[in-house]
Amino acid sequence: MTTLLLDASVLLAAFDPDDKHHEPARALLEDDETTLATIDLARYEVANVAIRGWRSPGSVAPLLTAIDRLADDGGVLASTGTLLTRAAEIAEDRTISVYDAAYVATAGDNGLRLVSCDERDLVSKGLAVLP
Amino acid sequence: MAKVMVSLPDDLLSEVDAEARRTGTTRSAVMREFADRALRRRHEGRASAMRSLLAEEAAPHGGRSADQVKATRPDP
Repeated sequence: MTTLLLDASVLLAAFDPDDKHHEPARALLEDDETTLATIDLARYEVANVAIRGWRSPGSVAPLLTAIDRLADDGGVLASTGTLLTRAAEIAEDRTISVYDAAYVATAGDNGLRLVSCDERDLVSKGLAVLP
Repeated sequence: MAKVMVSLPDDLLSEVDAEARRTGTTRSAVMREFADRALRRRHEGRASAMRSLLAEEAAPHGGRSADQVKATRPDP
């Protein structure tokens, strides 16, 4: 059984029917046969999009609740100095941001499969799969 | 199937063995079933909570989630 590591874009897509990946992202969150996890960075990223992108402060609580539900399943993995050092190396090697690389490093270090809606920087480079 | 060594307190092991005798199976099979059941319950709990949450809270926000994440990150 593979544990899937979700980045913030998957969580956001699941809550936004306008997103082209909404249906598969939502189906993934509602799937009861898969272990789902994320990293602590996702809390900041979803809250940031809800406030600054969606202009929807009321969306913050449900998004954070969704992450709490992942904490009860596969977990919300913590950033550490070691992890971010690895992320910095990956960011340099793959020309992606350290934020994206933090997800990639966490997936790699824990044997997880990264799932993202980021086709340009993650999926196209073989670093993640679409939901 | 991988073989692993697991440390268990004596009283818990006694209960596992009693369950194995009761169901006519092995210690390994009991532990496998308990682990599987516990994980399945965890997934089902998360999935059920997500279904309720998404039914109530999903709303149109313009899409492009991945771009939104990048656009709202702090500038380097």
